This record gives sequence, C-alpha cells and structure tokens, in this order.
Amino acid sequence: MATVIEMKGDYQPFKEEVETTDMALFVRTSDEAMLGWDRQRIVDALIRETYVDLDTAKEIAREVEELIATSKIKMITAPLIRELVDTKLIERGLEQARKMHTRLGMPLYDVDQLILHPNKENANVPHGPEATNLTLAERIKKEYALLSVFSQEIADAHMRGDLHLHDLGFIDRPYCSGQSLEYIKRFGLSLPNSIAMAKPAKHPEVLLAHMVKFAAALQSHFAGAIGWDSINLFFAPYLVGMSDRELEQLAQMMIFEFSQQAVARGGQAIFTDLNLYWEIPKHFENVPAIGPGGELTGKTYSDYSKESQRFAQALFDVYQEGDGSGRPFFFPKPLVHITEKFFQTPGHMDFLHHICEVASEKGNTYFVFDRGETAKISECCRLSFKLDQTDLEDAKQPWKMRYCALQNVTLNLPRIAYLAKGEDAQLFSNIAEFVEMAVKAHLEKKLFIEKLLSLGEKGPLALLAMNRDGSPYLRMPRASFLIGMVGLNELVQIHTGQEMHPSKQAFKFGLKVIAHMKLLVDRFSQRYGMRFVLEQTPAESTAYRFAKLDLKFHSPKSGHIVKGDISKGEVYYTNSTYLNNAAVLNPIERVRQEGLFHPLIEAGALTHIWLGEAKPSKSSLANFVMKTFRLTQNDQIAFSPEFTTCNRCNRTNRGLRSSCAYCGSQDVDGITRITGYFTKVSSWNKGKIGELRNRYRNQAFLKGENDESSGSASLEERPSALRV
Amino acid sequence: MGLIKIFTKAKCPKCPAAKEMGTELKKEGMPVLHYDLDTMDGLAEASFYSILSTPSIIIEDEEEREVVSWRGTVPTLQEVREYLLPLTPSLSPVLRRREG
Repeated sequence: MATVIEMKGDYQPFKEEVETTDMALFVRTSDEAMLGWDRQRIVDALIRETYVDLDTAKEIAREVEELIATSKIKMITAPLIRELVDTKLIERGLEQARKMHTRLGMPLYDVDQLILHPNKENANVPHGPEATNLTLAERIKKEYALLSVFSQEIADAHMRGDLHLHDLGFIDRPYCSGQSLEYIKRFGLSLPNSIAMAKPAKHPEVLLAHMVKFAAALQSHFAGAIGWDSINLFFAPYLVGMSDRELEQLAQMMIFEFSQQAVARGGQAIFTDLNLYWEIPKHFENVPAIGPGGELTGKTYSDYSKESQRFAQALFDVYQEGDGSGRPFFFPKPLVHITEKFFQTPGHMDFLHHICEVASEKGNTYFVFDRGETAKISECCRLSFKLDQTDLEDAKQPWKMRYCALQNVTLNLPRIAYLAKGEDAQLFSNIAEFVEMAVKAHLEKKLFIEKLLSLGEKGPLALLAMNRDGSPYLRMPRASFLIGMVGLNELVQIHTGQEMHPSKQAFKFGLKVIAHMKLLVDRFSQRYGMRFVLEQTPAESTAYRFAKLDLKFHSPKSGHIVKGDISKGEVYYTNSTYLNNAAVLNPIERVRQEGLFHPLIEAGALTHIWLGEAKPSKSSLANFVMKTFRLTQNDQIAFSPEFTTCNRCNRTNRGLRSSCAYCGSQDVDGITRITGYFTKVSSWNKGKIGELRNRYRNQAFLKGENDESSGSASLEERPSALRV
Repeated sequence: MGLIKIFTKAKCPKCPAAKEMGTELKKEGMPVLHYDLDTMDGLAEASFYSILSTPSIIIEDEEEREVVSWRGTVPTLQEVREYLLPLTPSLSPVLRRREG
C-alpha cells in the first residue's frame, strides 16, 4: 500500500496520453456517467490500485485500447475495460496485481435471480427489496473479505470447504454479543451519529423503547444475535407498583416489539435473546439497583425479587398465548437459567410448570443449566459467555457486562476423516492443522476489526468505539473467538465404520476428537493471549454446504456418508457433536449422551427434543428438566413442537400438514425450530429439509401423561451403562 | 474382576495422593488405569464419566458399570478395598491380610 501512495505522489501526466486518445467511444462508468474514451484512466487505475510500474501500466493501456479499437465494440463499460486489463495482467504473470485490481460485484443473471427469488441461506431473512439490498451488500463484502481481509490460504480453505468462515458478508462487524440493559439505564440513549440524545428513561415503556432502538443499532454493528442479560431483574426497579394488567401490557409490548422488528437491516427480525431468572442471580444480590432516571434506588437487586418474578411470569403468559394467529413467537427467545438457587427460591415449581407448559404448547422456552458456581449469558442459537472471576467482579457495575464473539469458524470434520484414510495419527494431525487454520483466520479478522476500531468515534464502528464509562463499548480484551464443528458423527463413521449412537467405542472416539480440539484451543489461547473456545455452531447452511462440497470432492465415499436424500439434493451432515437425528433414542438418553460433550464445548451447546405433534404434560416436562439438571451435564435443552399455519383462515394447528385442519386450504406453512430458533419451513434450505424429514420424534415416549418412571430409570443409570 | 480408574491433572494439589494410591493398589495386583486430563485420552475418558474435578477415582465391575466413584476427593485405601473385595474374589486373601 505504501508503494502505491508513493507512486501516486510522484505521478506526472504524460503528453502522449492526451494525444493518442482519439476514439469516438463513450465508456459507461460506475459513477452513472458516460465519459469519452481516455486511455490515461487505465494507467491511473493501475498506478493507484496496484504496484505495477508506469511503463507496464502504459503498455497495458495501449494494448487494451488497440483491442477495443479493432473489436468494433458498440458499448464499453468500465467493468469490461477492467476485465480486459486483468487479462493483460495475467498474460504478464502479474497475479498479485490482478488480485489488487479485481472488481467486486455480481453477474447480471445472479442479480436478476436474487431479486426474483428468496435467499435460503438464512431462514431469518425474508424476501423483499430490503432483503435483496442486504444480500447484494453481503455478496460484495464476502468477496472483499476473501480477497482482502483473509490470506489466500484461509480464503482457499473456506472455498474448498475445509472450514467455513461465518458471516463473511458482515466482515466489518463482530459476530454476536451479550448486552446489559444497565448501560442504557445508566447512560440513556446517546449514540454516535444520532441526531438526538435521550437521557436515562424514567418510565418502563420508555426504557423498553430505548432497549428496542439500541438493539436495532446493535444489530447494524453485529452480524448475529443480541442477547440481554437478566432482563426481568433489570426492568424490576421500574415495575414497582404496577398492576398485573399493566405488567402484562408491558410484557406484550416487549415481545411484539422484538418479534415485529422486521423493518431493520434487510427486513430481518433482530435475533434477540432474553435471559431470565426466577431467583436473584447470586452475583447481582448485593448490587445497587438502578431505577428511573438512571438514579440508584438506594436498594439492592435482592429487594426487587417480587417485581422480577412477576415480570418473568407475565412474559411467559404472553408466550403462551402466541401471536395474533396463535403461532409461537419466533423472537425474542426466552432463556430461563436453571441454577441451584432456582430450586431454593420459593415459587420455583409453579414457575417451572408455567414455562414447561409454554415449552409444550409453543416451544419457546430454552432451559439453560448453570450448575455449581457457573454463571453465563446466553445468546444466539446456543452461544453463551461463561462468566469468570473478573466478570463476576464486573457484576458490581453491571453496565460493564458487555461481551462479544468476534468471529465463528467451523471445521468440516468429515473432510478431516476422508483425508486421514483411516490412520489415527493422520486424523489427529489433520485436526490440529484445521484448528490452527481457524486460529489464523481469527487473527486475521481481529487485525481487521482492530483497524476499524482504531478510527474511534469517527470511524465505521463508532457505536462500538463510543466510550461512556471509561472503556470502549466493545471490550476487545474480553472477546471470544469461536471454533465450531460440523459432522462429528460422520467423522467417527468414516474413521471407525460406526456412527456414535449404536457403539460405545465409536462414541468414545467422538469424545476423544472433541477432547483433542479442546486441548488445542486451550493451547492456542495461552499462546496468543486470546480466548479461543469451542462452540456447537448452529450451522444452518454450513452442514448443507459441507455435505455438498464433500459429495463433489470425496465421492464415492461421501455418497455413503452424507445424511438426507441425495436424489433430491437434500443432503447434510449431522450438526456439531449431535447424534444422528434419525437415531431411535428416547429423549432422555439423547440429552444425557449428547450432554457428555457439553463440558468440553465452553461457548455453548444445546440438545433438541423434537416433539412433533406430541404435547407432553407440564409435569412430565418439569420432571424431565429437573432430571436433566441433576443427573446430566447437558448445558441447554429445548423442546420443539411442530405447527401448520394457514395463510387463508390464519389459524394454526399442531403438526406439519399439507393442508389446514380447519379449512382444508393447501396454502399453509409449516413452523418449527430450524436450529436455535423457530421459523417457517418454506424458507429452509434443502439440507435442513432433509434433516427435518429424518428427525426422530419419539411420540410414544412424549405423549405419556406421566413418564416419570421411565425418565428416572434411564437417567439414574451411570454413563458406563451407555446403551450400545 | 473390577477395574480402578484414576483421573488426575498436573496442576492439582490432591492428585499426587491419588496417584500414590493407584501405585499401591497396582502392587496388590489390582488393575489400575491412570488418566491424565491434560491429555486427549484422559480428557475424553473423564468426559465419558462426567468427571469435572480432579482427582477422581472410579471403580467399575467386570461389565464396565460404575460401582462407586470419588470425585474431587481421595478416599482412604481402606474405603477403596471395601468396594474391591466383592469384585475381586481372587485377591481377597491378599487384601484381607493387608486390612488386618
């Protein structure tokens, strides 16, 4: 870059440029202008953008001019000229210069397709002009990232499908974040570049408005989810004296505001997580409460237990009712933390039954298990930030509790196994190589984001650089760097000949792979002083992408390994460390076995229990949840029912059907959980459709009104009794 | 015959005592397996048994079913032998003699 600047500084115009540019042609430029032909522009661009010397630039410009003159072309566009120049650079072997001279963009055909057809890479993006804008911008930023942010080694690894760099279209933002409402309670809404500043809210409705606006601002600075910690507790000081009706109204406003925020970026709802506690979390017990006007109320949060619990109840009342058509709310997601203290707090059984009823009827509830002294903030599909001692110290000033994951890189585990050809040593060495590549990708992205942040409040990440409490909003030293995995089950299958669920030996081999990865990321964390952590990537499209690429590069072997239906193109790898979705396992056994991986996956893990049409009783689900907490290591569970919503009569019924059970219309949409959120099945990619067809729903087990006996029997067995 | 699995880590104050116990039991002819949680194999095995603290000791029966475990603590040799006796009839005289 320095060379380019220097050359620009020394640049002098040449007489001959003016003299020889006499073609009666106009060039359509990207600035929406038609300019007369001027060969000098080619020279200028080459000198400005690449390192080629002046003589070469002039020579190339002349050759391109000749080519155009002899071709009798009628319409010249700037992109065409650039392509011709690139050809000349290639002819001279100037590969690096060609790369630097690249034009980013999309073919006309692709744009046409994009405008006409929905994008299925992310089911949370609807189809419309805003969504098209988002996708177009993403495509260019994606190319930019692969050409300019990441080294060729990393970019190639992504293109080959050895690994997946998530959200490349949002390369200039961190991945996702955990937030504290205390920040806006204390500082109000004062955003860089905003035309009006709001003082701290005095009323709960205003606080909610601030929260929603701040979430929208954050959405445009992060690629993924925005999680809010202890939201019922932090609202509590504003709720003193409110009637049940008023509280319910506020809860309704909160849920509808977040579920209908489809007017922000790309028409995409803000991926919002509400972390909720029945008890007062230990680390907030003695923290001075911030109340209306950003003032300390003179009490601690322990004094707001009643308001906090009432608000949590009210939120779940709204979830239970569903939206105007009785459908489950897709967002915001409620994550209830189940802790030791939860079970010591009066009223917990009633609350547990309430949230289990919602889980059974609508599926919204996520049960997050914080055992022992663990405390965490959950967000995204399953990501969580475990709070260490320093974080718990920060809890005394909760507005400081702002966390982010800077990037997520997922490894294609089956690919590693194909390459190892059954050799143990090769397999573990390949895993180390792939993890190291992911680390390198993180270092490259970190460097780029730091460059943007260094521009401070005048730069593109002004919001994240704003400093209201002595440190920038985005606390880089606390950032996590996620390393995810797809297809552990298939790696084990390729390498040992058996999938994980039917074989204890194969299952143990799976644990060995993840243990190896865990030790590697710990070692890299020490080496670089950064927090590399394993995460169960949601992999909504990655599991599909990897399977497709491996069918291409590792056929015929991969043809026997990928899951789904190859003839329909509905192929996928089993996500992260999950057991085969089609495996006939009772849900409790699945929760226990999958949970054995969770302590190794520090940044979050989740087990799905596919309910299908079953609607278990609240007491059997409560029993299930308690046993999961007490007798397994599982980090988080969610129960996923399935629905059919009718676009004609607007009614919703249970199960996935081809026609409406009420009016018979075939204009219906299926609704269920895709990864860590609900959405319409019609928006799913083919891989996920394949997975949906395969999901094993143990209807008999779940339909039982009281399955306590079978549940307790299975869970109390020790791990050595793994059913194999 | 039963099997004793001992899980330790390098930086763990109580782990030397657990290792020592393993050595002692091995001398008595008991099958003892040591797992170091700082290694891939050790960490994987510990995960399989949901071991989250060190040192931990597990006694299994012939069919690899857990009979008893001590997690984060070190039992006395006497306690361990009490569980081993019914699982290892061939060693009973040796163990009984030592108890005596």
